[in-house]
Amino acid sequence: MSSRGGKQKKGNVTSEQEEEEQPLQAVLVADSFNRRFFPISKDQPRALLPLGNVAMIDYTLEFLTSTGVQETFVFCCWMSNKIKDHLLKSKWCRPTSPNVVHIITSDLYRSLGDVLRDVDAKNLVRNDFILVYGDVVSNIDVSQALQEHRHRRKVDKNISVMTMVFKESSPGHKTRCEEDDVIVAMDSKSKRVLHYQKTQGLKKLQFPMNIFQHGSDEFEIRHDLLDCHISICSPQVAELFTDNFDYQTRNDFVRGILVNEEILGNQIHLYVTQDGYGARVSNLQMYDSVSLDMVRRWVYPLTPEANFTDQQGQGCTHSRHNVYRGAEVSLGHGSQMEENVLIGRDTSIGANCHISNSVIGNNCTIGDNVVLDRAHMWNNVHVSSNVEIHQSVVCDGAVVKEAVRLNKQCVLAYNVVIGPNLSLPEGTVVSMHHPEEEEEDDDDEFLSDDQEVGHSKDKTRQKAFNPAEVGPEGKGYIWKASMNDTEDEELAQCLWGLVLNPDPESDSESEASEESQDRSRSVSPEIDDVNAFQLEVLGTLQRGLEENIVCDNLVLEINSLKYAYNITLKEVMQILTRVVLEYPFQQQGTQLTTLQYTGSLLPLLKTWSPVFKNYIKRAQDHLDCLSAVEELFLEQDTHQTAMVKVLMKMYQLEILEEEAILKWFSTGATNDKSRQLRKNQGLQKFIQWLKEAEDESSEEGE
Amino acid sequence: MPGADKETDLTERIEAFLADLKRGGSGTGPLRGSGEMARETTYLLRRITAQARWSSAGDLMEIIRNEGRRMTAAQPSETTVGNMVRRVLKIIREEYARSRGSSEETEQQESLHKLLTAGELSEENFRQHFVHLKANVIEAINELLTELDGTTDNIAMQALEHIHSNEVIMTVGRSRTVEAFLKDAARKRKFHVIVAECAPFCQGHEMATGLSKVGIETTVIADAAIFAVMSRVNKVIIGTQTVLANGGLRAVNGTHSVALAARHHSTPLIICAPMFKLSPQFPNEEDTFHKFVSPHEVLPFTAGSTLIENLFQCFILLRLFTKVSVTPEVINALSV
Repeated sequence: MSSRGGKQKKGNVTSEQEEEEQPLQAVLVADSFNRRFFPISKDQPRALLPLGNVAMIDYTLEFLTSTGVQETFVFCCWMSNKIKDHLLKSKWCRPTSPNVVHIITSDLYRSLGDVLRDVDAKNLVRNDFILVYGDVVSNIDVSQALQEHRHRRKVDKNISVMTMVFKESSPGHKTRCEEDDVIVAMDSKSKRVLHYQKTQGLKKLQFPMNIFQHGSDEFEIRHDLLDCHISICSPQVAELFTDNFDYQTRNDFVRGILVNEEILGNQIHLYVTQDGYGARVSNLQMYDSVSLDMVRRWVYPLTPEANFTDQQGQGCTHSRHNVYRGAEVSLGHGSQMEENVLIGRDTSIGANCHISNSVIGNNCTIGDNVVLDRAHMWNNVHVSSNVEIHQSVVCDGAVVKEAVRLNKQCVLAYNVVIGPNLSLPEGTVVSMHHPEEEEEDDDDEFLSDDQEVGHSKDKTRQKAFNPAEVGPEGKGYIWKASMNDTEDEELAQCLWGLVLNPDPESDSESEASEESQDRSRSVSPEIDDVNAFQLEVLGTLQRGLEENIVCDNLVLEINSLKYAYNITLKEVMQILTRVVLEYPFQQQGTQLTTLQYTGSLLPLLKTWSPVFKNYIKRAQDHLDCLSAVEELFLEQDTHQTAMVKVLMKMYQLEILEEEAILKWFSTGATNDKSRQLRKNQGLQKFIQWLKEAEDESSEEGE
Repeated sequence: MPGADKETDLTERIEAFLADLKRGGSGTGPLRGSGEMARETTYLLRRITAQARWSSAGDLMEIIRNEGRRMTAAQPSETTVGNMVRRVLKIIREEYARSRGSSEETEQQESLHKLLTAGELSEENFRQHFVHLKANVIEAINELLTELDGTTDNIAMQALEHIHSNEVIMTVGRSRTVEAFLKDAARKRKFHVIVAECAPFCQGHEMATGLSKVGIETTVIADAAIFAVMSRVNKVIIGTQTVLANGGLRAVNGTHSVALAARHHSTPLIICAPMFKLSPQFPNEEDTFHKFVSPHEVLPFTAGSTLIENLFQCFILLRLFTKVSVTPEVINALSV
């Protein structure tokens, strides 16, 4: 219907520019592509988990609609049926909705990259679009960001491909997700992102120098930004994802664009908002904070009493200290709702309860003398008397029996029964699914829901519940937090988003290997990637020698490594040179004499000369190669005499050109050591010889 | 199918209006004045009258009643919307009665006894079909609209009766009606206006700029200074969001303190409110009349780091409107 309205509008304002008229589109990714909410998300996709008794995807859609989006593509993968059902029932799919929602489902999406590649393949977007996840809660008015974005695109002919929306918030703010913490270097005037790095686990931050040499005189390095995960994208974004099949997440994309900025000429900008609220519920820690923020009205006008989803009977009243009560709520004698409490419809609460900072769903019953603090209860939860719950999530249909205490960060997944007389330690996760089931189910996780449920029930019967863990009448399995294989470790830290093993060494290292891809260009900071790359190259060459692999294939392999570790061409060459020159040391120990060294090295050079030739083409390449040679021999000063032989051999093999060598010799000396090196007799002679040869050849030429 | 087309167009408009109401102007104060809100509601109701399918006044009233219920539920703090719905319902009833031939007087003069004994005369009485009813109703709504357009001017016209030369007048926040009122008086009289800034939205600043532009001597004071300044004030003139059925007001945050200070100093308090702000509602429950918005204006989100969060424990509630238990004895004059 609204498309018709859109047409009408078009007819009226044809004088306005074509671009402005096209309906604003949005791509909503209703899948997180990770298992942060496992095992909760085993029964319900994350986008449908209730936040303040409203499914998260509704917040996102309301946000989009209120910013004037007229067409939204919802991409679902995991449990797409449920999302589809939900959306079809909601107000978004009514014919009068100003925002036309198209649901696109496929089991093949494995990442954001897949979704955007599909957007490109289906040619869905025609103009700038907003990209959000289905678990973003926001009230930011992005129209200004959108305007800036369009303006930039008009001025600079499509150079800016993406505008990311950030919200100002101080470091350590509760609503800042540890995992999403970023540090951004930006140009203050043009708001262009120069450098973008996740800070998680990094003790040191490094900024490539070249970002400060771009001509602008004002830079900001900001760590006070909360990533709202809202981005305004140009249609090129989808194409770029198609072109670069290795982009999986937005993070990859941003890094890719920044690294290749000079080549492709694409830029990323950011928009920082001070008012407005935007956050992504990326783990339970965030769930907790966002839920509380919502109850505290930071997301106004998306407040619980506004009932923006237009659902019947969802309305509630709001009173002092942010206490919200739905219809038919009964509160026992002496019970207190201290502050920031949201209670859903038809919920009854017993006597002498203390409730603060909690959200309680519909149709819950809560017994007497219950203490709830930062508890998030969903629908149909039964809590008996004398229960204490602190900062925990209790999913639909769970039953908490008498005198149970849930310490911080517990999770009771769907239909779990706990107790009586039990205290769950901090961070316990209880689910009706057996943890071992998970691995077996891994492959068929995209089965339809019914099958899945039946499937797991069978299993449930097979394995008995452990009464010591879940209480004498309990039902459910404890998900161990500290299993050692990687995936479970991930799970352990992910549910609440806390790093359980804050061993700084291992942590920063493992992060670094992932994170440092974006530190571009400058040579020195790239220790980890470069090291890894160097090892790989060494391995490749070794294998090449052992298995007699053709040099072409070696080149191919090194090239793919180059992409995998995001190494520049210059570095590839330096590393290659280094690896080759060090090869004899690697193989035969460092105690070689110079003679032995040259003896084993020179044949190697001959074998691998095609590899070198492949990388050394331009004049600059020659110089880079030479400086790498120089660097190595400066380190190995006992073998400096071998350098001449190496250079000679490389010259003979036509890896290096004489002009380059001469140039290097005359200009390359930058410090005492290298000057010293150049005074080496053999080298002097070699150069002399080269000069003569050149003269000769030039004479011959005449 | 032009009919169906019309209908969807209509529902679309209603939905858009409802969504607008719900979003409530993004929280930084009442973006649209109630006057504008009243006009918009009336336009929409006129459109419903013109485009919805109905054959008798009863049908139409049912439709408008239903839509009206949804509109008021969408934003309960906007009483104007409900008032306009009631107003239009009354128009329909009157027009129906006129079409039926019974004069307005007899209708109004029905005795209490008659009303009691008459029983169920209300609903089925509206079932008769009249050809010209639609046109008449629309005509009457148009009259209502012209009336709405003129309200501010009508109030402003009375200004000279209330404001005398060399008076010191206090007002709080920004009200379009009061602004027009003061400006009208300024054409003939010279007086001094003190504007309480009405934190945290500080609409008082806007008001002061507006007034000083037409040459009125204006002073902005902090809300805390209201009581101190009150002794020098001759008259307090304020606007309001709603006049409740018991004579109390539901007005912008800070009005209560102004009213209490005025009472303490026995300063006359004049409320400028057009007809459509008179509401039949009673302030029953303490809290339901407040409109709370995001705490962002008081405490920036950035500052909400752990330390401050613990200090404040988020007692930060922003009330956009407070119900003022200003009973009629405090209000000295009501310009309607």
